[in-house]
Amino acid sequence: MPDASPIGIFIAGLLTLGIFSFLYKDNPVYKVCEAIFIGVSAAYWAVEYFYSALYRKFWLGVFPPAGSGVEADLLLWGGAILGALMLCRMIPKINWLSRWPLAFIVGATAGLYMMLFFVSNAMKQIESTMQPLIQDSLLETLGSFTIAIGTITGLIYFFFSKEHKGIFGGAAKVGIWVLMVTFGASFGYTVMSRMSLLIGRMDFLFNSWATNFGQMF
Amino acid sequence: MSQPNQNSPFCKIFPTLLSALFLFTILASSPKTLFAQDAETSVIDSTLENLVPIPARPANVKAKDHVYDIGEKVDVSWELSPDDTTGLRNVVGYIISRRLDTASDFDSVGAVFSRIASLTDIGLTKGESYQYAVTAYTSAGAVSETSVSNSVTTEQEWFDGDKFWQVLLLVIIAGSVAYFIYHAKKGKPMFLRKIAGLQAVEEAIGRATEMGRPILFIPGIHDMDDVQTIAGMTILAKVAKQVAEYESRIFVPTRASLAMTAARETVREAYMTAGRIDAYRSDDIYYVTDEQFGYVAAVNGIMTRDKPATCFYLGAFFAESLILAETGNSIGAIQIAGTAMPAQLPFFVAACDYTLIGEELFAASAYLSEDPKQMGSLKGQDVGKVVAMAAILIGAVLATLGSEEGMNIETFNSAFHAFWGVFGGGE
Amino acid sequence: MKRTIPILITFITGGIIVLAEFIPPWAILREHVLIYFQIIAVFAFFLGGGSLLKINCQKVVRKREDWQFAIVTLVGFFIMLALGLFKMGNPEMVDLGFAADLNASGSWFKNVFDAVKAPLSASMYSLLAFFIASASYRAFRAKNSDATVLLVSAFIILLGQTFVGVVSTGWMPEWMSFFKVENLSLWLLAKANLAGQRAILIGIALGIISMSLRVILGIERTHLSGGDE
Repeated sequence: MPDASPIGIFIAGLLTLGIFSFLYKDNPVYKVCEAIFIGVSAAYWAVEYFYSALYRKFWLGVFPPAGSGVEADLLLWGGAILGALMLCRMIPKINWLSRWPLAFIVGATAGLYMMLFFVSNAMKQIESTMQPLIQDSLLETLGSFTIAIGTITGLIYFFFSKEHKGIFGGAAKVGIWVLMVTFGASFGYTVMSRMSLLIGRMDFLFNSWATNFGQMF
Repeated sequence: MSQPNQNSPFCKIFPTLLSALFLFTILASSPKTLFAQDAETSVIDSTLENLVPIPARPANVKAKDHVYDIGEKVDVSWELSPDDTTGLRNVVGYIISRRLDTASDFDSVGAVFSRIASLTDIGLTKGESYQYAVTAYTSAGAVSETSVSNSVTTEQEWFDGDKFWQVLLLVIIAGSVAYFIYHAKKGKPMFLRKIAGLQAVEEAIGRATEMGRPILFIPGIHDMDDVQTIAGMTILAKVAKQVAEYESRIFVPTRASLAMTAARETVREAYMTAGRIDAYRSDDIYYVTDEQFGYVAAVNGIMTRDKPATCFYLGAFFAESLILAETGNSIGAIQIAGTAMPAQLPFFVAACDYTLIGEELFAASAYLSEDPKQMGSLKGQDVGKVVAMAAILIGAVLATLGSEEGMNIETFNSAFHAFWGVFGGGE
Repeated sequence: MKRTIPILITFITGGIIVLAEFIPPWAILREHVLIYFQIIAVFAFFLGGGSLLKINCQKVVRKREDWQFAIVTLVGFFIMLALGLFKMGNPEMVDLGFAADLNASGSWFKNVFDAVKAPLSASMYSLLAFFIASASYRAFRAKNSDATVLLVSAFIILLGQTFVGVVSTGWMPEWMSFFKVENLSLWLLAKANLAGQRAILIGIALGIISMSLRVILGIERTHLSGGDE
């Protein structure tokens, strides 16, 4: 926050300390920070959605400004009607109507994700795994075998309708180890980046905030 | 260091000298410079054409309707100007213009750099006929003569032929899911392996009831436009039913308003099925804030104050996964998590008692439902896995036999590329 | 009726969206669905925001535990709402009116964002450093063979990123270079990790296809078939 006001930095520092106090135990200062956070952020997103979705996407879509040359998108009314049905929830007699927009969203999400993941996850990953097993060096060859066998045994672990015993069970066991190596790798990889988050916050407290504090008083 | 004086004579003369030198260089390096003209020809008579060499025009301009679109695109192609990569080598790009068949003037629709011989024009009207013109130009601003294309009429297609293999593979996988749903309906008994996290659900709810403490259910931090949230809701339905039967209490704070509405609907239905609608409290399912970490701050508060005995985290999670799971640990709750966010799985695995890994999250509601139709769909998924494993094996073997590093057998190489292409490889 | 129509809506919408992937003229429907969702979500906020206000007001009126903090939430909410909706102190309002950028530099909305929301978010996020430390400690007491594998893998990757780790295997001769911690961690990330990720991603895709089908076909309907309240 290079251009933040001294008061802004001062408040930011207090709130930072308030959140950190939770590490010791739940306390009134944390509760105040939490309460402010909930109130302010809920309103923040309410306003953000109001202007970005309702005003910019819907309103300017169906009533484009004169002279902009954009045609009114009448299909957008569908969204508004579904949205209005959502509000029927507040009227006891017709609150069952609110299930319609919900049904719409659930259906649309199911359809969208089915295709998205089929292409980007299933097809793409299968395609990327089709690599020559024998490579230029022994190490690379070992790597190719690891990827192919690891992927296949990992998939075997996920089998639901076949009991994990015998050779199949052995393969599933290798599969879960492959998954555990993967989790360990992500875990180890993330530790440092999380530390840097804390360092960033400490830097704010000890530099920006402390300096500002000195200047204010 | 002092600044040079802007008004010094040097500052005035130097740019002029430089410009003169620059101009001289340009003229001297051109094959048709004025110095090469006949002595009789006056310098003043020279036109721009004499100064700047004109490139030859691009030939053979073709316009073709773009396939598999809604009739809004045309593919234009041409042969490079002979002065592009050979000859004068002075072409820096091509200007593409278009006109309706009925119109007389061409309007520019785009430009491409030299060595590029195609362009897809977009934003056209279905069923109209267009003609294209392509012109080469040089850095000095000289333009070639124009070559005009054939006339092309835009057409709309009703099937995206590029996605033929996708359709086929999807039909195989989705078809087998549907087949086993139907197969299961006939009441054939089916084996399903145990999933520890799901077997623990009932015990975890029972424990909360015994301890007289509530249950916390977090359906992820995404809204209903994420299929993981929907998966979370389907599990919530089963959990809430048991909670109702055990006469325990469940809290569902949500990060999205729509998720709150869906969760209320779900829990209400569960209580009704359990015959305990009188115990349903809509205020136990509430919206907190759309802010990711504001929501986390609030859930942390709920955990430390209400001390739930059991916490469920089932849905889409990001960095907050570990904050939630560690706070849950600090209050000694039994924790059952599940997500399809690969980056967050390690943290749940490390900090929770049970974790549903990726696919298991989506299978959970089918497991818990004990409905043969739903369980049948899981067998369909397994067929999908067999297809995937077989494809990987076949692909890897073909690649090994065909690749340069491997056996380098041409037949297998082309077979591999054909097979690879089915899965979108090489695009 | 009240139960059938929602299931029909889900079936038709889901079916059309799947088909739209392959039918070029229907592609526009997929785009619109996303906007529809955003519009519906704004309307839904009246319900969510309403619930937030109701619960906090009840806390204050009934003087439930911690009711004082509910007042803070309510005040924070209304102040931020007013600042944003009326674009108070927004320097662009003079020229653009309500078309002004909501987050214009200098507007009160942006100021509160910078001084309150941003630092709270960043602080909460940075708590992860402490939690990842406690989680690592927990992982150290590996309960079974699976957890041990996770731990060893995490340890190698972590060492590979640190100076100490690199130095600790620096003595190894060239023919053992594969086992140098920086090489081993790279290999784990690029090969074994990749295999696991792929198995997970393919599994997820199959899980989603199957669950989406159950939802679209109306077999999984617990979230929709609420009674005739």
